[in-house]
Amino acid sequence: MSLRRFVQRKKKDADLAEEIESHLAHEQEANIARGLSAEQARRQARLKFGNPESVRDRVWRDRSFPWIEDGWRDLRFALRSLANVPGFTAIAVLVIAVGIGANTAVFSVINTVLLKPLTYPEPQSLVQLMNTAPQGTFPGANVPKFNIWNQQSSIFQYVAGYDQGGAGLNLTGGNDPEQVQGIHVTVDYFRLFGAPILAGRTFSSAEDSPHGGNVVVLSYALWKRRFGGNPKIVGTNIHLDGQPYLVVGVIGRDFVTEPTGDLWLPFQFDLTSQDMAHYFVVAARLRPGITPQKANAQLKLAADQFRRTYPGGLGPQGGFGVTSLQDVMVGDTRTSLLVLLGAVTFVLLIACANVANLLLIRATARKRELATRSALGAGRGHIIRQLLTESLVISLTGGFLGLILGMVGVRLLLAVSSGSIPRVGEDGSAVTLDLNVLFFTFGVSVLTGILFGLLPAISASRNNLAAALNESNNRSGVGFRSGKIRSLLVISEMALALVLVVGAALLIRTFINLQAVDPGFDTHTIVTMAMSISADRFQNTAGVAQVIRDGTQRVNTVPGVTTTAAACCLPLQGGFGLPFDIVGRPSGDNPSTGGGGYFPVSWAYFEAFKVPILHGRNFTEHDDGGAPGVVIINEAMAKQYWPNGDPLSDRLVIGANMGPVFVEPPRQIIGVVGNMRDGGLSRDPAPTMYIPVAQMPDRVTALNSRIAPLWWIVRTRVEPHTVIRTVSTALREASGGLPVAHIRTMDEIVIVTTSRERFNMLLLTIFGSSALLMAAIGIYGLMAYSVQQRTQELGIRMALGAQASNIRNMVIRQGMVLAIIGVVVGIGGALWLTRFLASFLFGVKALDPTAFLATPVLLTAVAFLAVWIPARRATRVSPMTALRFE
Amino acid sequence: MVLPAGIRVRHATVVRKTMALKETSAAGDIFQGTLDMLILRTLVMGRAHGHTIAQVIEHTSEKALEIEQGSLYPALHRLEDRGLLASEWGTSKNNRKAKFYQITAKGHRHLTRQTNRWRHMTRAIGLILGQSAD
Repeated sequence: MSLRRFVQRKKKDADLAEEIESHLAHEQEANIARGLSAEQARRQARLKFGNPESVRDRVWRDRSFPWIEDGWRDLRFALRSLANVPGFTAIAVLVIAVGIGANTAVFSVINTVLLKPLTYPEPQSLVQLMNTAPQGTFPGANVPKFNIWNQQSSIFQYVAGYDQGGAGLNLTGGNDPEQVQGIHVTVDYFRLFGAPILAGRTFSSAEDSPHGGNVVVLSYALWKRRFGGNPKIVGTNIHLDGQPYLVVGVIGRDFVTEPTGDLWLPFQFDLTSQDMAHYFVVAARLRPGITPQKANAQLKLAADQFRRTYPGGLGPQGGFGVTSLQDVMVGDTRTSLLVLLGAVTFVLLIACANVANLLLIRATARKRELATRSALGAGRGHIIRQLLTESLVISLTGGFLGLILGMVGVRLLLAVSSGSIPRVGEDGSAVTLDLNVLFFTFGVSVLTGILFGLLPAISASRNNLAAALNESNNRSGVGFRSGKIRSLLVISEMALALVLVVGAALLIRTFINLQAVDPGFDTHTIVTMAMSISADRFQNTAGVAQVIRDGTQRVNTVPGVTTTAAACCLPLQGGFGLPFDIVGRPSGDNPSTGGGGYFPVSWAYFEAFKVPILHGRNFTEHDDGGAPGVVIINEAMAKQYWPNGDPLSDRLVIGANMGPVFVEPPRQIIGVVGNMRDGGLSRDPAPTMYIPVAQMPDRVTALNSRIAPLWWIVRTRVEPHTVIRTVSTALREASGGLPVAHIRTMDEIVIVTTSRERFNMLLLTIFGSSALLMAAIGIYGLMAYSVQQRTQELGIRMALGAQASNIRNMVIRQGMVLAIIGVVVGIGGALWLTRFLASFLFGVKALDPTAFLATPVLLTAVAFLAVWIPARRATRVSPMTALRFE
Repeated sequence: MVLPAGIRVRHATVVRKTMALKETSAAGDIFQGTLDMLILRTLVMGRAHGHTIAQVIEHTSEKALEIEQGSLYPALHRLEDRGLLASEWGTSKNNRKAKFYQITAKGHRHLTRQTNRWRHMTRAIGLILGQSAD
């Protein structure tokens, strides 16, 4: 049966009709020739031919695919039958749309973050080189490590080091200087990532060596934006921090890095460097056939060799390893997204249970229709197929709406709070509708339709034909079996909703706890901005100290500003760390006495953040390069290393064993300050050392200037946004024209640092409340329906003298029994499931008694409300009306 | 005729089931294969339209196979769909518009095969029933 014939049936049928007419005319003529009258001749011809319609019908059927015919008929019937009950259809479609929409939303993020491969060629062989230690693995590299990794040519095809574009550069030489992200890379970087070259070339090995000259490769975006896509840019000079840089190439548009870079510069490593500080990361492409396991085995040997070459460069338990680059980029987002996927699956299950219940109710109302159809010869399979078609119409319509809802919703959500999820792009722009999402939503829609449709369809088709037809009306009570199914559905809705609401409650508590954390400083009325200090004059401490002095002086004159400070890093954002020795205290087995945060700050840092000086004194402007070396430690460090003693009497050697860069004389501890949360609100304050920027060793300054900008911290007595323009201008003038970027108030930074928690909490709260609402509708629907079905029974009871309160209590009791069973089952489920949330919680246990008490109470209250409405209606049944109901 | 017809019924039923035709009696099934063969045999002599085919079958079988003329058409169309016949509109001797059928090369081969099978079968049955095959 070819499709062409199937499609041409209409035309062929007309053809056949004409052919039959011709046949009849011939026969009629033959009959006339035999001497019959015209009338008789026609009659005889028709008799002999048989029924032309049935002939046409047979030919028609010979040419058709019965299942298409049947499917089409079922579909038209389903549409008609759903159009008859617009209210029911609308609710069912809407409930499914919400369920599928939530799933589409979460899946589209998962698709973007976890499923889509990295955009580089053969991304599966890209790995990041990691340092392994008993407490975990972390990226980070220095030149000696890069050298030894680069030598492992048996496992790596290419090895390249690159930084995260941390410090930024000032693109000068136009009307408007601009701060851009420059990524420093080693020579094989572009080959490693397979970067498409749009114009020119990438760096040569000679250019990536010390004194290799000033060369730069532009990104497509910067080339278009700043240079108007000028193809002749290659070979000309652009100005970075006032220095000319030769543009050697432009990279194609499709090359995406995370974080985004505007241009690339060669690292120009001195490969003989023994500097042990980590200030870049290294990626590699595995040779074909080399698995990460093989690479790790080889790297174990490399680590031993490294330890022999550089004693103290690697801890006794430290080692090297590789991790897939995609895993590194995704990080801990995976768990978070999978938990969310679990949560939305629950929402969808509740939606299914809800619609299944609606369908069961509707099937009861259609009992007679279905019985009539089966009496007329429709088989059970036929009826199930018909009812499933209706479910699929509902679920596919809901799925389509859900797709729109989900995609719009997820973009809105990511625009409000990106949750610092990697790979989703600016405001979630990378989360797009692609085939994966379409297939997912379509598949989920079909599955959903079958899931919520099959049970009601089977139960409806199980009708006892005679009983149904003989029933005087369709209101005489709920069949025992389908009543039981409905109760089970309502119980599971309540249970699933409880699990979700407990989860939401835990995340809400987490978020509240985070909000309540004292960061250790006053976050209000502070504005911060980053200044790139990449120019030559900032390669030594005096230059940086000078710009800080000038800037501070200048900004302090801006009206509304009270205190101005500068530092390498901002609190809550993480910073540097270095090991230290306490002079005169043996370090035991370890190479150093301890390690802690390392924050070069200007003298007004603590004043600007309003951090209390607990002991000793604060820095002054005179703690500069000419004065003796000083350090201030935080309370956490004092408690850990001087539990009983006085830290102010000790001296620290900072950066011991970290190579020649960090060599400096011991520093006197002059004060202890209150703890600031430097690693984020949820991290306990770690031991931290603060040193004056003006006292940093020159080589450390040079290193810092390369990897981090200088942060300005401006406390105001007015609303901080109002001074941004004047402060930026003042800083530009004071620094000889350097622009500032990344301008944010400290309150905004607090919001950003809690955005993951906010994102998770928002989503789970949305899911939890929709689950709760749906469960409430479910239990309400069931009780309302049962009251309606029992109008007659209730009327009789009242006629026999039952009090309104008896009736009401009876209905409430029946409803609440279901609700409470559901809640109990849900508590069991939640006790087991909340463990998966444990890593997202802060200040609250996965088995938090408050959440586990409050949620059941909340659910029971909502259920009570949902049951109470139909219960009240039951008491309003007038016995006379009820009895006359027939 | 009863036994071969029975065999044929089974065969035909399988074919029909896959085509998901629901009605048609056993008699109709018996007829189908035979009717196909008769139509092809008729058209070996030259192209003809439906009415002529019906009359030829009626006459050559000495009216032993009196058919409802209408049932000829599903068979004709099925044979055409299978590529055993070709058709085109033309004018009949009575100067009427009529659809003429013509046997195709594939139809010829099919007819030869079927006729041979039929001969074998009737011969075998004749032997079983102890009659002369011819």
